[in-house]
Amino acid sequence: MGANIKALKTRIRSVDSTLHLTRAMGLVASSKIRRANEAMNGGKQYAAAFGSVVDLLTACPECAHSPYMKKPEGERTCLIVIAGDRGLAGGYNANVFRLVAEMHYDRIVPIGKRACDRYKGEFFSSEDFNGVQATNMARKLCAAYMAGEFDKLGIVSTKYVSMMTQEAMVTWVLPLERPEQAEKVAAVFEPDEESILNTAVPDYVAGILMRCVRESFASEVAARRMAMDSAGKNAQSMIDELQLQYNRARQGAITQEITEIVAGAGE
Amino acid sequence: MRTFLLNISSPDGKLFSGEAVMMTLRGIEGDLAVMAGHVPFITSVKPCDVKLLLPDGTEKIGHSDGGLLTVAADGVTLLGSFHW
Repeated sequence: MGANIKALKTRIRSVDSTLHLTRAMGLVASSKIRRANEAMNGGKQYAAAFGSVVDLLTACPECAHSPYMKKPEGERTCLIVIAGDRGLAGGYNANVFRLVAEMHYDRIVPIGKRACDRYKGEFFSSEDFNGVQATNMARKLCAAYMAGEFDKLGIVSTKYVSMMTQEAMVTWVLPLERPEQAEKVAAVFEPDEESILNTAVPDYVAGILMRCVRESFASEVAARRMAMDSAGKNAQSMIDELQLQYNRARQGAITQEITEIVAGAGE
Repeated sequence: MRTFLLNISSPDGKLFSGEAVMMTLRGIEGDLAVMAGHVPFITSVKPCDVKLLLPDGTEKIGHSDGGLLTVAADGVTLLGSFHW
Protein backbone atom coordinates (compact mmCIF):
# COMPACT_ATOMS: atom_id res chain seq x y z
CA MET A 1 0.00 0.00 0.00
CA GLY A 2 2.81 2.40 0.94
CA ALA A 3 4.50 2.07 -2.45
CA ASN A 4 1.19 2.81 -4.20
CA ILE A 5 0.75 6.01 -2.20
CA LYS A 6 4.24 7.14 -3.06
CA ALA A 7 3.76 6.40 -6.77
CA LEU A 8 0.51 8.39 -6.79
CA LYS A 9 2.18 11.31 -5.07
CA THR A 10 4.97 11.38 -7.66
CA ARG A 11 2.46 11.29 -10.50
CA ILE A 12 0.42 14.12 -9.03
CA ARG A 13 3.57 16.19 -8.73
CA SER A 14 4.60 15.53 -12.32
CA VAL A 15 1.13 16.36 -13.72
CA ASP A 16 1.16 19.49 -11.60
CA SER A 17 4.42 20.64 -13.18
CA THR A 18 2.89 19.99 -16.63
CA LEU A 19 -0.05 22.15 -15.57
CA HIS A 20 2.34 24.97 -14.64
CA LEU A 21 4.03 24.64 -18.00
CA THR A 22 0.78 24.79 -20.01
CA ARG A 23 -0.39 27.77 -17.94
CA ALA A 24 2.85 29.63 -18.61
CA MET A 25 2.72 28.88 -22.34
CA GLY A 26 -0.94 29.91 -22.44
CA LEU A 27 -0.08 33.21 -20.74
CA VAL A 28 2.79 33.88 -23.15
CA ALA A 29 0.43 33.20 -26.08
CA SER A 30 -2.26 35.51 -24.63
CA SER A 31 0.23 38.32 -24.22
CA LYS A 32 1.25 37.96 -27.86
CA ILE A 33 -2.29 37.85 -29.23
CA ARG A 34 -2.97 41.57 -29.14
CA ARG A 35 0.25 42.52 -30.89
CA ALA A 36 -0.17 39.72 -33.44
CA ASN A 37 -3.70 40.91 -34.22
CA GLU A 38 -2.58 44.50 -34.70
CA ALA A 39 0.21 43.36 -37.01
CA MET A 40 -2.28 41.21 -38.94
CA ASN A 41 -4.63 44.17 -39.44
CA GLY A 42 -1.73 46.35 -40.60
CA GLY A 43 -0.71 43.69 -43.11
CA LYS A 44 -4.29 43.33 -44.34
CA GLN A 45 -4.63 47.08 -44.88
CA TYR A 46 -1.44 47.26 -46.89
CA ALA A 47 -2.32 44.25 -49.04
CA ALA A 48 -5.84 45.61 -49.63
CA ALA A 49 -4.54 49.07 -50.60
CA PHE A 50 -2.02 47.53 -52.99
CA GLY A 51 -4.61 45.07 -54.26
CA SER A 52 -7.03 47.81 -55.26
CA VAL A 53 -4.34 49.56 -57.36
CA VAL A 54 -3.24 46.28 -58.95
CA ASP A 55 -6.89 45.44 -59.75
CA LEU A 56 -7.20 48.80 -61.41
CA LEU A 57 -4.10 48.13 -63.51
CA THR A 58 -4.96 44.54 -64.46
CA ALA A 59 -8.38 45.74 -65.62
CA CYS A 60 -6.70 47.96 -68.24
CA PRO A 61 -6.57 46.30 -71.66
CA GLU A 62 -3.01 47.61 -72.07
CA CYS A 63 -1.83 45.25 -69.33
CA ALA A 64 -3.14 42.09 -70.97
CA HIS A 65 0.31 41.43 -72.49
CA SER A 66 2.16 41.69 -69.20
CA PRO A 67 4.13 38.50 -68.47
CA TYR A 68 2.48 38.44 -65.05
CA MET A 69 -0.92 38.02 -66.67
CA LYS A 70 -0.26 35.42 -69.34
CA LYS A 71 -2.05 32.09 -69.03
CA PRO A 72 0.28 29.47 -67.53
CA GLU A 73 1.64 27.06 -70.13
CA GLY A 74 2.36 24.25 -67.72
CA GLU A 75 1.47 23.15 -64.24
CA ARG A 76 4.79 23.75 -62.53
CA THR A 77 3.83 25.12 -59.15
CA CYS A 78 5.85 26.96 -56.55
CA LEU A 79 4.38 27.10 -53.06
CA ILE A 80 5.33 29.32 -50.16
CA VAL A 81 4.46 27.33 -47.05
CA ILE A 82 3.97 29.25 -43.82
CA ALA A 83 4.00 27.26 -40.56
CA GLY A 84 5.00 28.09 -37.00
CA ASP A 85 8.40 28.30 -35.31
CA ARG A 86 7.27 26.02 -32.50
CA GLY A 87 4.91 23.15 -31.93
CA LEU A 88 2.37 22.71 -29.11
CA ALA A 89 -0.25 24.71 -30.98
CA GLY A 90 -2.90 22.05 -31.50
CA GLY A 91 -3.37 21.13 -35.13
CA TYR A 92 -1.92 24.39 -36.43
CA ASN A 93 1.21 23.02 -38.16
CA ALA A 94 -0.36 19.67 -39.06
CA ASN A 95 -3.27 21.32 -40.89
CA VAL A 96 -0.91 23.32 -43.09
CA PHE A 97 1.24 20.26 -43.90
CA ARG A 98 -1.85 18.16 -44.65
CA LEU A 99 -3.09 20.77 -47.14
CA VAL A 100 0.34 20.86 -48.82
CA ALA A 101 0.42 17.05 -49.03
CA GLU A 102 -2.92 17.12 -50.90
CA MET A 103 -1.59 19.54 -53.51
CA HIS A 104 0.62 19.17 -56.52
CA TYR A 105 3.87 21.14 -56.22
CA ASP A 106 7.33 21.28 -57.75
CA ARG A 107 9.09 23.68 -55.47
CA ILE A 108 8.54 24.83 -51.90
CA VAL A 109 9.76 27.96 -50.14
CA PRO A 110 9.22 27.44 -46.41
CA ILE A 111 8.69 30.10 -43.74
CA GLY A 112 8.69 29.20 -40.05
CA LYS A 113 11.04 26.76 -38.33
CA ARG A 114 8.67 23.80 -38.55
CA ALA A 115 8.20 24.23 -42.29
CA CYS A 116 11.93 24.83 -42.85
CA ASP A 117 12.79 21.60 -41.00
CA ARG A 118 10.23 19.67 -42.99
CA TYR A 119 10.92 21.01 -46.49
CA LYS A 120 14.64 21.76 -46.05
CA GLY A 121 14.94 25.37 -47.05
CA GLU A 122 16.69 28.55 -45.99
CA PHE A 123 15.53 29.41 -42.48
CA PHE A 124 13.00 32.21 -41.98
CA SER A 125 11.30 32.78 -38.66
CA SER A 126 7.54 33.23 -38.96
CA GLU A 127 7.42 35.38 -35.84
CA ASP A 128 10.13 37.85 -36.81
CA PHE A 129 9.54 37.88 -40.56
CA ASN A 130 9.87 41.51 -41.66
CA GLY A 131 9.10 43.68 -44.65
CA VAL A 132 12.68 43.63 -45.96
CA GLN A 133 12.75 39.82 -45.99
CA ALA A 134 9.32 39.75 -47.64
CA THR A 135 10.43 42.21 -50.34
CA ASN A 136 13.64 40.27 -51.04
CA MET A 137 11.81 36.95 -51.23
CA ALA A 138 9.08 38.40 -53.48
CA ARG A 139 11.66 39.96 -55.82
CA LYS A 140 13.54 36.68 -56.13
CA LEU A 141 10.37 34.71 -56.80
CA CYS A 142 9.08 37.24 -59.34
CA ALA A 143 12.42 37.10 -61.16
CA ALA A 144 12.22 33.28 -61.19
CA TYR A 145 8.64 33.51 -62.47
CA MET A 146 9.70 35.88 -65.24
CA ALA A 147 12.55 33.51 -66.13
CA GLY A 148 9.96 30.77 -66.58
CA GLU A 149 11.10 28.55 -63.69
CA PHE A 150 7.49 27.92 -62.65
CA ASP A 151 3.99 28.74 -63.92
CA LYS A 152 2.03 29.31 -60.75
CA LEU A 153 2.82 30.82 -57.37
CA GLY A 154 0.70 30.08 -54.34
CA ILE A 155 0.93 30.73 -50.61
CA VAL A 156 -0.23 28.09 -48.14
CA SER A 157 -1.04 29.80 -44.86
CA THR A 158 -3.61 29.80 -42.09
CA LYS A 159 -6.71 31.96 -42.15
CA TYR A 160 -7.62 33.56 -38.85
CA VAL A 161 -11.38 33.10 -38.60
CA SER A 162 -11.71 33.76 -34.87
CA MET A 163 -9.94 33.06 -31.58
CA MET A 164 -11.43 29.55 -31.69
CA THR A 165 -11.17 28.71 -35.39
CA GLN A 166 -8.26 28.83 -37.83
CA GLU A 167 -8.25 27.22 -41.26
CA ALA A 168 -5.39 26.26 -43.54
CA MET A 169 -5.87 27.87 -46.94
CA VAL A 170 -4.07 28.54 -50.20
CA THR A 171 -3.85 31.94 -51.90
CA TRP A 172 -2.90 31.99 -55.57
CA VAL A 173 -0.73 34.99 -56.32
CA LEU A 174 0.70 34.56 -59.81
CA PRO A 175 -0.33 34.76 -62.58
CA LEU A 176 -2.48 37.78 -61.83
CA GLU A 177 -6.14 37.48 -62.63
CA ARG A 178 -8.20 40.06 -64.34
CA PRO A 179 -10.94 41.34 -62.02
CA GLU A 180 -14.43 40.60 -63.33
CA GLN A 181 -15.75 44.06 -62.84
CA ALA A 182 -13.41 46.40 -64.60
CA GLU A 183 -13.42 49.84 -63.13
CA LYS A 184 -12.31 52.52 -65.53
CA VAL A 185 -10.33 55.37 -64.04
CA ALA A 186 -9.35 58.61 -65.57
CA ALA A 187 -5.81 58.93 -64.29
CA VAL A 188 -2.44 59.73 -65.78
CA PHE A 189 -0.17 56.69 -65.85
CA GLU A 190 3.55 57.33 -65.95
CA PRO A 191 5.18 55.86 -68.02
CA ASP A 192 2.35 53.45 -68.99
CA GLU A 193 0.02 50.90 -67.40
CA GLU A 194 2.04 47.81 -68.24
CA SER A 195 5.41 49.13 -67.01
CA ILE A 196 3.83 50.28 -63.76
CA LEU A 197 2.23 46.89 -63.29
CA ASN A 198 5.46 45.04 -64.01
CA THR A 199 7.45 47.08 -61.50
CA ALA A 200 4.67 47.00 -58.88
CA VAL A 201 4.09 43.24 -58.88
CA PRO A 202 7.09 42.30 -56.65
CA ASP A 203 5.96 44.81 -54.01
CA TYR A 204 2.40 43.54 -54.35
CA VAL A 205 3.55 39.94 -53.84
CA ALA A 206 5.57 41.10 -50.81
CA GLY A 207 2.41 42.71 -49.41
CA ILE A 208 0.36 39.54 -49.81
CA LEU A 209 3.19 37.46 -48.37
CA MET A 210 3.45 39.74 -45.35
CA ARG A 211 -0.31 39.61 -44.83
CA CYS A 212 -0.28 35.80 -44.93
CA VAL A 213 2.68 35.54 -42.53
CA ARG A 214 1.06 37.94 -40.06
CA GLU A 215 -2.30 36.22 -40.30
CA SER A 216 -0.66 32.83 -39.82
CA PHE A 217 1.23 34.06 -36.78
CA ALA A 218 -1.97 35.45 -35.24
CA SER A 219 -3.59 32.06 -35.92
CA GLU A 220 -0.61 30.30 -34.36
CA VAL A 221 -0.79 32.18 -31.06
CA ALA A 222 -4.58 31.80 -30.95
CA ALA A 223 -4.27 28.07 -31.65
CA ARG A 224 -1.56 27.73 -29.01
CA ARG A 225 -3.67 29.52 -26.44
CA MET A 226 -6.64 27.27 -27.09
CA ALA A 227 -4.42 24.16 -27.05
CA MET A 228 -2.80 25.21 -23.78
CA ASP A 229 -6.20 26.03 -22.26
CA SER A 230 -7.54 22.58 -22.98
CA ALA A 231 -4.27 20.88 -21.97
CA GLY A 232 -4.45 22.80 -18.68
CA LYS A 233 -8.03 21.66 -18.14
CA ASN A 234 -7.08 18.06 -18.84
CA ALA A 235 -4.13 18.24 -16.46
CA GLN A 236 -6.37 19.69 -13.74
CA SER A 237 -8.98 16.92 -14.10
CA MET A 238 -6.20 14.33 -14.08
CA ILE A 239 -4.81 15.81 -10.85
CA ASP A 240 -8.30 15.75 -9.30
CA GLU A 241 -8.72 12.09 -10.17
CA LEU A 242 -5.25 11.14 -8.91
CA GLN A 243 -5.82 13.12 -5.73
CA LEU A 244 -9.01 11.13 -5.13
CA GLN A 245 -7.15 7.85 -5.65
CA TYR A 246 -4.38 9.04 -3.34
CA ASN A 247 -6.84 9.99 -0.60
CA ARG A 248 -8.58 6.62 -0.88
CA ALA A 249 -5.29 4.74 -0.71
CA ARG A 250 -4.21 6.79 2.30
CA GLN A 251 -7.55 6.26 4.02
CA GLY A 252 -7.32 2.53 3.26
CA ALA A 253 -3.85 2.31 4.79
CA ILE A 254 -4.98 4.06 7.97
CA THR A 255 -8.08 1.87 8.31
CA GLN A 256 -5.96 -1.22 7.87
CA GLU A 257 -3.51 -0.06 10.50
CA ILE A 258 -6.32 0.63 13.01
CA THR A 259 -7.87 -2.78 12.30
CA GLU A 260 -4.52 -4.43 12.91
CA ILE A 261 -4.02 -2.57 16.21
CA VAL A 262 -7.57 -3.32 17.39
CA ALA A 263 -7.18 -6.97 16.42
CA GLY A 264 -3.85 -7.13 18.28
CA ALA A 265 -5.31 -5.51 21.44
CA GLY A 266 -8.35 -7.90 21.44
CA GLU A 267 -6.22 -11.02 21.75
CA MET B 1 -2.22 76.72 -47.26
CA ARG B 2 -4.07 73.88 -48.95
CA THR B 3 -3.27 70.40 -47.74
CA PHE B 4 -4.00 66.88 -48.93
CA LEU B 5 -4.50 63.57 -47.16
CA LEU B 6 -1.39 61.40 -47.35
CA ASN B 7 -1.01 57.74 -46.43
CA ILE B 8 2.33 55.95 -46.46
CA SER B 9 2.22 52.17 -45.94
CA SER B 10 4.93 49.55 -46.07
CA PRO B 11 4.58 45.78 -45.61
CA ASP B 12 5.46 46.39 -41.94
CA GLY B 13 2.39 48.59 -41.46
CA LYS B 14 1.17 52.15 -41.78
CA LEU B 15 3.99 54.64 -41.38
CA PHE B 16 2.23 57.93 -41.95
CA SER B 17 -1.37 59.01 -42.14
CA GLY B 18 -2.32 62.67 -42.08
CA GLU B 19 -2.38 65.99 -43.86
CA ALA B 20 0.60 67.24 -45.82
CA VAL B 21 1.30 70.34 -47.91
CA MET B 22 3.82 68.89 -50.31
CA MET B 23 5.63 65.63 -50.98
CA THR B 24 8.75 65.38 -53.14
CA LEU B 25 10.04 62.07 -54.47
CA ARG B 26 11.60 60.41 -57.50
CA GLY B 27 9.20 58.85 -59.96
CA ILE B 28 10.27 56.47 -62.70
CA GLU B 29 10.50 59.36 -65.16
CA GLY B 30 12.07 61.92 -62.87
CA ASP B 31 11.64 63.94 -59.68
CA LEU B 32 8.18 65.16 -58.90
CA ALA B 33 6.28 66.97 -56.19
CA VAL B 34 2.69 66.44 -55.21
CA MET B 35 0.54 69.24 -53.82
CA ALA B 36 -3.16 69.57 -53.12
CA GLY B 37 -5.26 69.45 -56.28
CA HIS B 38 -2.81 67.30 -58.26
CA VAL B 39 -4.31 65.51 -61.25
CA PRO B 40 -5.20 61.81 -60.63
CA PHE B 41 -1.92 60.07 -61.25
CA ILE B 42 -0.27 56.66 -60.86
CA THR B 43 3.46 56.05 -61.17
CA SER B 44 6.23 53.75 -60.02
CA VAL B 45 8.64 55.18 -57.48
CA LYS B 46 12.40 54.73 -57.71
CA PRO B 47 14.48 54.23 -54.57
CA CYS B 48 14.87 57.78 -53.25
CA ASP B 49 14.55 60.15 -50.31
CA VAL B 50 10.98 61.29 -49.79
CA LYS B 51 10.56 64.81 -48.46
CA LEU B 52 7.34 65.86 -46.77
CA LEU B 53 6.28 69.40 -45.93
CA LEU B 54 3.73 69.31 -43.11
CA PRO B 55 1.06 71.96 -42.38
CA ASP B 56 3.01 73.23 -39.35
CA GLY B 57 5.95 74.06 -41.60
CA THR B 58 8.18 71.18 -40.50
CA GLU B 59 9.94 68.94 -42.95
CA LYS B 60 10.11 65.18 -42.63
CA ILE B 61 12.43 63.00 -44.66
CA GLY B 62 12.05 59.27 -45.25
CA HIS B 63 13.51 56.78 -47.64
CA SER B 64 11.60 54.68 -50.12
CA ASP B 65 13.11 51.52 -51.61
CA GLY B 66 10.78 51.74 -54.56
CA GLY B 67 7.05 51.36 -54.73
CA LEU B 68 3.88 52.79 -56.11
CA LEU B 69 2.46 56.30 -55.85
CA THR B 70 -1.27 56.84 -56.33
CA VAL B 71 -2.75 60.31 -56.46
CA ALA B 72 -6.54 60.24 -56.34
CA ALA B 73 -9.22 62.80 -55.52
CA ASP B 74 -9.62 61.41 -52.01
CA GLY B 75 -5.95 61.32 -51.11
CA VAL B 76 -2.43 60.35 -51.96
CA THR B 77 -1.03 56.90 -51.16
CA LEU B 78 2.58 55.77 -51.24
CA LEU B 79 2.94 52.01 -51.06
CA GLY B 80 6.12 49.97 -50.86
CA SER B 81 9.15 49.41 -48.71
CA PHE B 82 9.73 52.62 -46.73
CA HIS B 83 11.49 53.81 -43.60
CA TRP B 84 12.04 57.11 -41.82
